[in-house]
Amino acid sequence: MRLNRGSIARLIVIALCCVFYTILGQCQTSTGQLSISLTVQSSISLVFQNNPSVGTNGFCALTNSGTNNVTLDLGTAAFTPASDNLACVAYSHISANTYQVSSAFDVVVTKANTSSPNYRLAAEISTAPPASVVWLINNVTLTNTAFTQLDGSDNYSQAITKTLQVQVGNAVPAQAMAETVTFLATAN
Amino acid sequence: MLNRLYPIRTLALIATMLWGAALVAQTATGTINTTLVNKSGISLIFVTAPGNVNLGNSGTSAASANFGIISAFGTLSAGVTRPSVGPTTFTVQTSFDIDVIEGGLTSASYTLTANLAAAAPTGISYKVDTVSLTTAAQTIQTNGTYNTDVLHNLGLIVSMSPPGAGGPAVGFPITATINFTATAN
Repeated sequence: MRLNRGSIARLIVIALCCVFYTILGQCQTSTGQLSISLTVQSSISLVFQNNPSVGTNGFCALTNSGTNNVTLDLGTAAFTPASDNLACVAYSHISANTYQVSSAFDVVVTKANTSSPNYRLAAEISTAPPASVVWLINNVTLTNTAFTQLDGSDNYSQAITKTLQVQVGNAVPAQAMAETVTFLATAN
Repeated sequence: MLNRLYPIRTLALIATMLWGAALVAQTATGTINTTLVNKSGISLIFVTAPGNVNLGNSGTSAASANFGIISAFGTLSAGVTRPSVGPTTFTVQTSFDIDVIEGGLTSASYTLTANLAAAAPTGISYKVDTVSLTTAAQTIQTNGTYNTDVLHNLGLIVSMSPPGAGGPAVGFPITATINFTATAN
């Protein structure tokens, strides 16, 4: 392709403009490269939530609801007179010599970056209870020696209602009882 | 005899002193004609921001940021935070400084643009400050201040979907390169 005089003149003018532009500092640029690296890992989380019926009998409020570290107060109960001082605690005599207090709450397990279809849930108490005292979740007795499976295939992101029960014999001396119940969700 | 030679010795001594004085007064001069072209320029470097991920090659224009292992619910590496989780994505982020150094310019500020060197991997998108990055250059800042560390946020938005269903690869290193360009205003 041949350039006529006009085209050549225009090219010269453009070139000169660029030179002056550079000298004046208006064309200055600088570049940099930031390299990023990461590795994504699949994960699941478990949180405790107040049941929608919280506040009614059998559904006490959790402290720090919405987290994986909550507190549940079951109040003060007695075999006789048959009562618990907290209205939200369900109280009943389950046999001639044993009473039970209970409260329900929800467990929600969420998944990320995994194709796991569901999860299994287990629980364990922290210390051996006194004689004639039993801790249960949904009628499944817990121990402090191993996790006891509660469910085999729960759905992710779905609230699973669990009831914590404490059964106390009438011969159990007056005392304060406390347990840390650890829940374990394992992806299937 | 000695008296007759005395005036001659005296004249000789005076002549010698005048000759030395004449030597001390000798001078010579020279000039160097010097030229210097002061060229204007800017340069961009990345600097680790305190409390954030330690950049590899901090202080250079070719740095690296390793987020380590990231997950929606697990422990994160030092300097990485997770401001949001769910319901469909989680975000991890860190911050870093960009320092654009200038010399010989009348420019008062610079414009910063950024782009991904290659398309983002499936399930992950990258943000610098509030700008979602693509392979096309996008403006991050229009009034950057020269010769000072300017803090920028680097966010990774990660799909929580499993691999093969829109989520990122799991358990494998994922890399990306962001190109930054500073242009004098």
